[in-house]
Amino acid sequence: MFKTARLKFQTWITAGAGTIAALFVAGLMGAFGALPPHAPPQLPPDAGIDAGLWHLKPVRAYVSRAKVYGVPLKPGQKALVLEVDLTNRTAQSDKAYFNVFTPDGLALLDGLPMIALTRDSTLTPELHPGMTERMAYVWPLAGDAIVPANLSFGIIAELFKPRDNLYGTPGWFNPTRLGTVTLPVVDLPVADSRKGGS
Amino acid sequence: MNIRAIGNLLILATTVALSYGMQVSKPHYAELTAPIPVDGAVHDTVRARSFAVRLDRVVFARTLKSDQFGQEKLLTTSGLWAVVTTSLTATSTSTTVADGTWQGPTGLRYHQSERLGYRQDMPPHSIDPGLERRGLFIFEMPPDQIPGASLLVAARRFGPLDAQARISLDAVPTGADGQPADVLPQYDLDARL
Repeated sequence: MFKTARLKFQTWITAGAGTIAALFVAGLMGAFGALPPHAPPQLPPDAGIDAGLWHLKPVRAYVSRAKVYGVPLKPGQKALVLEVDLTNRTAQSDKAYFNVFTPDGLALLDGLPMIALTRDSTLTPELHPGMTERMAYVWPLAGDAIVPANLSFGIIAELFKPRDNLYGTPGWFNPTRLGTVTLPVVDLPVADSRKGGS
Repeated sequence: MNIRAIGNLLILATTVALSYGMQVSKPHYAELTAPIPVDGAVHDTVRARSFAVRLDRVVFARTLKSDQFGQEKLLTTSGLWAVVTTSLTATSTSTTVADGTWQGPTGLRYHQSERLGYRQDMPPHSIDPGLERRGLFIFEMPPDQIPGASLLVAARRFGPLDAQARISLDAVPTGADGQPADVLPQYDLDARL
């Protein structure tokens, strides 16, 4: 009788091991998922950042009330300008830099910024592998918008997949927030902001 | 019995290995539908499916001068400008050639520059059969991407299974440091017109 009880117990354990393991794993995953998510880290503003396709080095941020790098502003508008040194890390010319930076906590008039090459104010040119260029991100803002003296910019990076799930072609996917860079924002008076233009 | 079991195991192992090898070596979709290269050299006429192209000369310059809507524009670069002059003809029907790519010695691909805006002699080139037309392709690249490079010319940027002329640029004279022998300080795109 004692022997049959032990056998029974063994059978129960053998048959139920998978269920017990599944319950345990699901419980653990639920517990970890319920933890508050990690805030994206603060990235150092003076060092280079590898963000997916791009190597970034923020240079300066300012508010301009005049035309900057050929980007026209409507009357009464001002513009938040972020100048960045961008380097293409991939093997081919690309211009997928529109969503890399987003200023946090500002009411933007358009979702996407205007982006100009500071060298000659060309709008959104392709950047070539290994050639660092200074680009200006220009977000038009309402004239009375308040821009904090230290503004944080979220940095979005994408992941390289050697083959995607649809065609098996290589590409950059899954944009995720890599971190935040905080930069001082200088408010340029009208006379000075003309200097930045072409 | 024992021999038979071992034989079965061997067959199973071989099948697994063969299947894995086939899965790993299967070409990607992107490779299967990639453009079909047609190789050639400088001054050769390279015949692609819908056009023929001959590379006449390559000029390297530090700055470019271009007329845009009556305004003179000076274009600087962090590398070098390469102005590639080609002669293009269509094969059987009028068509356009829109894509030029500079492929460096390690395979880095530099698309034609978008900084010059619209020009008559820049892509897309409209070409006709039997009429040779001069067409420019303008690139910017770091100087170390020049020795061993090749020029890729295709009708479209994304042209699956279409021909792509691949002209090897080994004939470009380079100095001892591997950089092109003569780099002009400035090249005027409108001087020869």
